[in-house]
Amino acid sequence: MDAPTPIESSQAASDAKRAPPSIAWTELPAPARMLLTNEFGLIALIAIFGAIFALGTPGFGSQFNLYTLGRTMAIDIMIGFSMMVVIVTGGLNLSVGAIGVCAAMGMGWLLERVGLPLPLAIVGALALGGALGAVNGALIVRSGLHSFIITLATMSVFFGVMVFITRAQAFRDLPPEISAFGKMRIEGYVSALLIVSVVVGLGLMALYRLTPLGRDMLAAGAKAAAAELSGVRVGRIFVICHILSGILAGVAAIMLVARTGAAIPSMAGDLGQDWLLPAFLGPVLGGTALAGGRVSVFGAFLGSVLVSELTNGLLQYRIGEFWLQTWLGLLLLLAVLMDLARRSLLTRMGSLAR
Amino acid sequence: MSSTLSLEARGIQKAFPGVLALQDVTLTMRGGSIHALLGENGAGKSTLIKIITGVHHPDEGELRLNGAPVRFEGPRDAIAAGVGVVHQERNLIPRFSVGENIMLERLDSGLIRPIDYDAVHAEARRWLEILELDLDPRTPVSQLNVAKVQLVEIAKALSLRSRVLLLDEPTASLTPQEAEILFRLLRKLRDEGASLLFVSHKLEEVQQICDEVTVLRDGRNACPSRPMAGLGRQDLVRLMIGRNEQIPDWKPTDHSDAQTMLALKNVSTALGHANIDLAVRQGEIVGLYGLVGAGRTELAKCILGLYPLTEGQIEIAGRPERIAGVADAIHRCGIGYISEDRKQEGLILAHTVLENAGITVWRKLAGRFGLLRDETVRTHVSPVIAELEVRTPSLAQVVGNLSGGNQQKISVAKWLAAGVRILIVDEPSVGIDIKTKAYIHELLRHLADEGTAILLITSDMPEMITVADRIVVMDDYRIKGELANSRRYTEVSESIMALIHARDAA
Amino acid sequence: MTAAFSRFLRTDWFGPLAIIVAASIGISIFDPSFLSPFNIQILLLAAAVNCVIAMSQMVIIAIGQMNLAIGAIGGLSAICFAGLMQVWGFPPILAAAAGLAIGVAAGLINGYLIARTGISAFIITLASLSIFKGADLGITRAQPFYNIPASVKAFGNTTIIGPIPWLALPAALIVAGMWYLLYRQRIGRYILAVGGNANAAELSGISIARTVISAHAISGFLAALAGIMLVARLQLGQPSIGDDWLILSFAAPVIGGAALSGGHVSVFGTSFGVVIVAIITQALVIFHIDPYFVEVVLGLLILWAVGVNRLREVRFQNVARAA
Repeated sequence: MDAPTPIESSQAASDAKRAPPSIAWTELPAPARMLLTNEFGLIALIAIFGAIFALGTPGFGSQFNLYTLGRTMAIDIMIGFSMMVVIVTGGLNLSVGAIGVCAAMGMGWLLERVGLPLPLAIVGALALGGALGAVNGALIVRSGLHSFIITLATMSVFFGVMVFITRAQAFRDLPPEISAFGKMRIEGYVSALLIVSVVVGLGLMALYRLTPLGRDMLAAGAKAAAAELSGVRVGRIFVICHILSGILAGVAAIMLVARTGAAIPSMAGDLGQDWLLPAFLGPVLGGTALAGGRVSVFGAFLGSVLVSELTNGLLQYRIGEFWLQTWLGLLLLLAVLMDLARRSLLTRMGSLAR
Repeated sequence: MSSTLSLEARGIQKAFPGVLALQDVTLTMRGGSIHALLGENGAGKSTLIKIITGVHHPDEGELRLNGAPVRFEGPRDAIAAGVGVVHQERNLIPRFSVGENIMLERLDSGLIRPIDYDAVHAEARRWLEILELDLDPRTPVSQLNVAKVQLVEIAKALSLRSRVLLLDEPTASLTPQEAEILFRLLRKLRDEGASLLFVSHKLEEVQQICDEVTVLRDGRNACPSRPMAGLGRQDLVRLMIGRNEQIPDWKPTDHSDAQTMLALKNVSTALGHANIDLAVRQGEIVGLYGLVGAGRTELAKCILGLYPLTEGQIEIAGRPERIAGVADAIHRCGIGYISEDRKQEGLILAHTVLENAGITVWRKLAGRFGLLRDETVRTHVSPVIAELEVRTPSLAQVVGNLSGGNQQKISVAKWLAAGVRILIVDEPSVGIDIKTKAYIHELLRHLADEGTAILLITSDMPEMITVADRIVVMDDYRIKGELANSRRYTEVSESIMALIHARDAA
Repeated sequence: MTAAFSRFLRTDWFGPLAIIVAASIGISIFDPSFLSPFNIQILLLAAAVNCVIAMSQMVIIAIGQMNLAIGAIGGLSAICFAGLMQVWGFPPILAAAAGLAIGVAAGLINGYLIARTGISAFIITLASLSIFKGADLGITRAQPFYNIPASVKAFGNTTIIGPIPWLALPAALIVAGMWYLLYRQRIGRYILAVGGNANAAELSGISIARTVISAHAISGFLAALAGIMLVARLQLGQPSIGDDWLILSFAAPVIGGAALSGGHVSVFGTSFGVVIVAIITQALVIFHIDPYFVEVVLGLLILWAVGVNRLREVRFQNVARAA
């Protein structure tokens, strides 16, 4: 490769510190490269834990448990996606849970009170999710403030208004089709919900790989100023990312309704806070850069799969229950530390290869 | 206290991931002298300073204070050993007062004994007075202009009573009068026995106040520490760039018959520009010269539609246009902008060559169903990358891993790929090596000859005189005048300076 | 006189104070009982605990970070405090000391991880939020501790004189202490310096790691104190203590003019922010508005406050450029 001429060395040095330190990454032999990818690590972990749980507890490998696992997993994956699409912008969306609940309650209202047919109600719910996402996006872009504080505030506003309007009453008389879909099994152990997540994941992959819009999102997220001066309409792109996040949160919430059979205001905890951990776990484990501009849809998918698997396994061992959150927190911590170690290893291998 | 302290850096080597920043560099500073450290951008001056002040640790080599080896674990150790520094970046806490900033590392308090701000400000005032700086130490730093901030930083370094004082471009934002006060002070410190290291791009200043000189080139000593006496400006330049300054012998051409591609008519902007008239014709390179802060980059951004015009209008190829934003400027009006701030505004360093070079054409290249494949972009971008001789292992290389010169070529490449008719180029040779700089100059000339209208913003006088057909001078957000480029350095630079200083007479 | 007055107007706490005065007058016109001693006591009780919670977040905002875990730390300390008294019969003082020590330790862990790994405070504290909350639920099995000594209950529910509750005492001490710390102590200045310009602070020889760790330890201490105060006030060791602190902990400092990018917070502004939130909550009760509406109002308050701060920031920069 072209060794940088030493003359601009200090220049390049300061660049190198900011850029991902994988300078000789492309020089590694292909198998080594594959072994060091985040996705491979996740697959290995999923397999190892799968084996441990399957051997250790009789319940884990059962057809019914795998089906149940798939149902929770599908929802966690979708929650992770709804966060991932804003992490791409270098921001975050604390209100995913609140938006999700609003969308679910909106659907319940459209079905029970307005009497819309199910497909229309779903469209309405997703539109509501998208609209709330648009509010987030517009506030962030207009104010120039960080998405953290804006979505912290809107999380409170959205949730509060929802509870205020619904009087905290659940919608339980939903059409049977929706729970039927939630209960649907393919080949006995694959939940239909999981298919939805896979399809959405493929769609997101296509978005980032094959469309100018997806590329604009990544460019704007990596370096907004540079993207803007290259003709990317950064503000508009950020708003679209938040709309997408709102819609995906809506999808996740509808899937949750399909699983539980009712739209309940507390389905994501107070203010929707219970979704935050799964929302970040998937993408962060999956190697989506929190600074923005880099995404791994497959990684986020695998990350959520791992988290659901661990949760399920720990519950099977009966050590989960109350301590579950602690384990998940430790997992998140471990994941970010491992990622750090992996990168420094890559850097060291990179400098050795030279 | 008149003890002198000499500082020596011996055989310093420093590598960053991917680059060797310094190789076997030696620097000897004696007490009672002002030592110049010279070199081009990226030659390793700042890295060397950061090693001497404990910010970085050398991979090899050692520092000696008065002959005894020392090792600084961090800036604190260096400060304690009497090594003070004024860094190039601004390093004050904006919301704190001037006095607290000066005394920051010496704020003292006990559990029941609060910080004595009267004492802090009184002590700070002493150092401000030494610099003849009439400034209340209680003023928040955020309310100072750049020059004052610079002087406060110098006061801060002085207040540490450093016997070794390193100044990295201390005069970059000072007026000549302020610089003169600083020089008087530096001479006084030297006479008291301090060792001073002075880094500057202004060779006149260096020759004026420095006794000794070390030149770095490509991260090595181009000359070890030696007396300044007997070295002329050309000698210094030769040491810095390895050969004489060359000005290519391009014939200035008259483009007055060509079509005006970009015209500003009596434009005033929200950023404070007033009554700007400017025209760039097809095939012409118009240089926009001015000092830092004259409003040139800001004008470029107004042309791109980032900030609104308050008066006047912009004409593109003779037609009045309202430019709504950068996307509009690029895709409808064919205006490209190469930013002076390559790392923040020019390129996405974490992304690949392909993504950076193709960003301007994604939407144009998208095919059926709005889908876009890497192959399509590659086909479109490869010829340009090849034409510009970008040295990269592949189009999949991350741009941040390329050299500054190659990065700059990519920021040009994306506009070539977009096929713009008007190119605004802002300080194109900041942070790139001499060879690439010459190449970029040739490229600009070549692009102009092929029919692009180029507006070149630069503070680099030789660059301006080398490349521009016509020079427009800007100061304080106004156009001060215009002159044809005769390519005779002294004559042109004097005319430019006369235009800028006309402000004082007016 | 006018110069002094205009400086007064520009302080961070003037706006919130004016709102408090105006709101108090306005509400008491509709309902004179708003300014009754009983009502003031309720107001002060709510404000006392919330003030400590807000300070716990404020010190982290000062270094330009965020701490999602304050609620979890507060909850964990609270149930340890209650649990030690109920299960092992610790005297309240010792149990409180242990609770505070747990808070400091939790803060130290947060700070250490952030400073040493360089991973964003958001992710670290999200992880530790989950860890501490899980420990809280794991220890209590989600059941409260009921046997709280009478002295502790009294501390949380009686008054010193007039309408001033005992709980206001630690809150007032903390406000004064935070002011002293941030404006008159070296560590406080360093916290603000690191928040204002970390690079500059480092080049001045300030250890960023040590400063960040200290700030998180202080934050942990305050979160623990708030948890303990809540045990006294609620008269039981609820595992759910801390679950609803997050929004408030950001709302009050932001209303008080804190810059979320770090380097600038206002102790008094934050305190007044807490009082504003308490008044609004009270007002909703008085006007029989759905209490759920508090969340909406809190969210809107944050949006409004960050908007105002943003405008001030822009003006602040313009002043700097004009000078």
